[in-house]
Amino acid sequence: MSQLAVTSEQGLESRPRTAAAPLVDIKDLRVDFSGADEPKQVLKGVSLSVLPGEIIGLVGESGAGKTTLARSILGVPPAPGRIRTGEVVFDGRNILALPELELRKLRGRRLSVVVPNPRAELNPTMTIGRQIGAMARIHLGVSRAEAARLALAMLRDVQIPDPERRMNAYPHELSGGMAQRVVIAMALICNPAFIISDDATSGLDVTVQAQILSLLSRLATGHRSSLLFITRDIGITAHFCDRVAVLYAGEIMELAPRESLFLKPAHPYTLTLLAAFSHSPKLRDTWSVPQTGRRQIQVGGCSYANRCPLAQPTCSERRPPFAEIGPGHFARCHFPVSPE
Amino acid sequence: MMRVLGYLAKRLVFVIPQLLGIVLVSFLLVKSIPGDPAVLMLGPTATPDAVASLRESLGLEQPLYIQFFIYVKNILHGDLGTSWQTTRPVLEDLVQRFPATLELVTLSLLLAVVVGVTLGVFAAKQPNGWVARLADLYGLSAGALPDFWFALVLIFVFYTLLGWAPAPLGRIDMIVIPPEPITGAYTIDALLASDLDAFGSALAHLVLPVLALGLLNAGPILKMTQATVEKMLDSDFSRYEVLCGVPHNLVVRHALRNALPSIVTIISVLYGYLIGGAVLVEIVFSWGGAGQYAVQGVLNSDIYPVLGFVLFSAIFSLMVYIVVDLIYVLLDPRISN
Amino acid sequence: MLAIVSLCARIAVIRPRFAVGYLIVAIVAILAILAPLIAPYSPTEADSTNFLQSPGGSHLFGTDNVGMDIFSRAIYAPRIDLTIAILGTVLSALLGGSIGALVGYYSSGRGIRVWVSFAVMRAADVLQAFPVFVFAIALVASLGQSIQTVVLAIAFVNAPIYLRLMRSQVLSLRSMRYVEASTVNGLSDFQTITRHVIPNAMAPVLAQLSINVGWGILLTAALSFIGAGVRAPTPEWGSMIAMGFQNVVTGQWWPSMFPGAMLAITVFGFSLVGASIEVLADPAKRRQLLNDARQRPAGRAAAASKRQSLEQV
Repeated sequence: MSQLAVTSEQGLESRPRTAAAPLVDIKDLRVDFSGADEPKQVLKGVSLSVLPGEIIGLVGESGAGKTTLARSILGVPPAPGRIRTGEVVFDGRNILALPELELRKLRGRRLSVVVPNPRAELNPTMTIGRQIGAMARIHLGVSRAEAARLALAMLRDVQIPDPERRMNAYPHELSGGMAQRVVIAMALICNPAFIISDDATSGLDVTVQAQILSLLSRLATGHRSSLLFITRDIGITAHFCDRVAVLYAGEIMELAPRESLFLKPAHPYTLTLLAAFSHSPKLRDTWSVPQTGRRQIQVGGCSYANRCPLAQPTCSERRPPFAEIGPGHFARCHFPVSPE
Repeated sequence: MMRVLGYLAKRLVFVIPQLLGIVLVSFLLVKSIPGDPAVLMLGPTATPDAVASLRESLGLEQPLYIQFFIYVKNILHGDLGTSWQTTRPVLEDLVQRFPATLELVTLSLLLAVVVGVTLGVFAAKQPNGWVARLADLYGLSAGALPDFWFALVLIFVFYTLLGWAPAPLGRIDMIVIPPEPITGAYTIDALLASDLDAFGSALAHLVLPVLALGLLNAGPILKMTQATVEKMLDSDFSRYEVLCGVPHNLVVRHALRNALPSIVTIISVLYGYLIGGAVLVEIVFSWGGAGQYAVQGVLNSDIYPVLGFVLFSAIFSLMVYIVVDLIYVLLDPRISN
Repeated sequence: MLAIVSLCARIAVIRPRFAVGYLIVAIVAILAILAPLIAPYSPTEADSTNFLQSPGGSHLFGTDNVGMDIFSRAIYAPRIDLTIAILGTVLSALLGGSIGALVGYYSSGRGIRVWVSFAVMRAADVLQAFPVFVFAIALVASLGQSIQTVVLAIAFVNAPIYLRLMRSQVLSLRSMRYVEASTVNGLSDFQTITRHVIPNAMAPVLAQLSINVGWGILLTAALSFIGAGVRAPTPEWGSMIAMGFQNVVTGQWWPSMFPGAMLAITVFGFSLVGASIEVLADPAKRRQLLNDARQRPAGRAAAASKRQSLEQV
């Protein structure tokens, strides 16, 4: 724990926070899943600006739309998803409007995703050396030998033990933690400007989680890339994220600089998430609401209304606007909680 | 390497009882075909005494299980019996005819693989395109067309109407001398002997039967390729490759690579099946192959050719399956453990 | 019953090929039943002065080399081919399916039944290792050449397919709760199998039946072609093709081509019907097909453009 705190402190100092123009600007992204009858809205208008060199944490529970968001940003929503509307502005262009050929050149090269469940995502019949090298060959156009050299260097960077031998290993021969490192290597080998880490530490042992976390933040900082760190665990984001966003039922409910979010949380859902870590019994009692009830039944009105302990009649009628309630601190709530 | 040899040894051990089972079943089956072999061998003018003494020497008076043991013992000595039609040892007949069938079937299977895999991959790449629709139709029709009739259609179009193909009367022109039998396959032997006349003639005679067998049997290969590659393209790792910006053609190639085990399976099943399944085409083209030999045996109550053919084709199938299992170990890195 | 028919109708509209399949099978069935009423000539009447007439005029498909009218013979043939194929296929399904269900049910657990199951499976292996065609001919030759033996040949050749199918279905269903529940409730093994296991295993079997009927027709024709099946002059597509074989080479194509084309189209129709049953019997595929249809106008355009962009190299 303390080691991580030290790292994040160092990270804070070395990260430039000057540029006002966002690196990636996600505007009102809406994604539907085509279903048996009507399409189901999975992302209901997500907007987020990521500054260069910034680390943003995105917290959401299972089914909130985390993976859908991660993949839709690159234009490849998971099946049966379909991007209904929205823009992702990168380098001055809306990449979602680009022809597939152009967008393909950006994926893995300028924007990349670190996926969860890596052993299922890696090609079972190719050695990991070749898979990592393939990224370099496709996007950087290097020779096979050069690609192998780069892949080996990457394996060392992600601290895989015995990297020379691992170059010729197959995915099924790796442990979960090693496979995760391989996927990180693949995401970073072309030195992208924007990295999305989708739940990259779930399913790993706690110690391995900590290692992967520090690895990710160190590499992102070292390459001067922006990192969108998606997770289910709000506690993790406290250590190294500059800003934190909270995702619920396909909408961003709260977005704030790290200190603001943890010291002055405004949205009831955020409070529920934080209550689990709190030392104050009163806080825990107030906010540990049983998370029962179906999520998506609210049509019109706030998505969280049917679970919110502070819900009022207005909450079921009108969708709350994403309002700024403090410097850089936004919440989507009619009755945001004021600091106690 | 040692692991591979050990695996081979284990498989070969199991082959013996399997073969024994096949020989037993075919023996029982064939023994129930009516017709007295002795009478058939000696002809209608034979005297009862001659028939009786021939039956005695052939061991036909013995109980069935003793006859079976005698047969198996003879096989181990390389004696597969004698055909009363050709009056030659069955082993000799088969050694001459089996390569003819093998040449035909192998080339047909090659054509089927090329057509089937190519169309299957294209259909999987563009599931709503016209290639996919064509492939669907092709798969359905190829399974519905009777091969002997399709062969007839080809003969009618390319020989009778267009005159491009040679007459469907065997493997080589009658005026051309067949090459010295080294492998038994006319094309290979002709090349080995640098006899271009024989090579050309043999090849020309192969065109129509190979087309008939190959085009029809491409159907199952096409369907398997299309279905498996589509499944692979839908899998997690293919989607991840797309997410990483891998070009579409490369994604398809990787999917095909992962689909190979299933495709190899169906090819091997087809290979074993075609040895006996080519018989109708052999008959249409008077090919003089092993299947034709066996069919004539059945129709004329000549049982040893049938038994010999079943034995040959069973051994062949089993060997193909063993080779295929070895290929799997090479193809799929997960299996070796 | 009505629900099934309406479902068939909807599926036929969505996928025109299914409609084609139903149509073909219907026509062939009608021909089989009504042949005596439709055929202009008797199928076995030979007019030796009129042999090898080309198609047209009073002989729609022409005549063969002994003067029999090909059209009449060709539409009489389904009676034999369909009857043999259907009987053989149903028999193979009953035979193979029942043994397969038993083998699957008893393949693990108590003592000797396990060994018997194992032995039956190995026997099925050996049976399937046989060259199919040679086996069929040998069977016909040993039992005597007649329609009944051809039926038996089809039954034996296809039985292993149903054996394996039922066995794998039973194996996967065995572990389901309601099967265990029925045993606990005191039903005998036999009752459990017939009442619970078999009805739920039927779906893939049904799809296979239609396709197998098509194969059965092909096998019957093949056997008759080489002279080991239905004997001439009984009208049968395979033997008709054989009779016209030499004529094709010399240019008179009609004695072989017409029966062959009808044979191919009939088997094609049965394959299509089998494919439609596969969709009908599997609830997941059924839902997907109906969904595709519903989304078709917009969906197809969108899917097409997406595919196009995906396919750019």
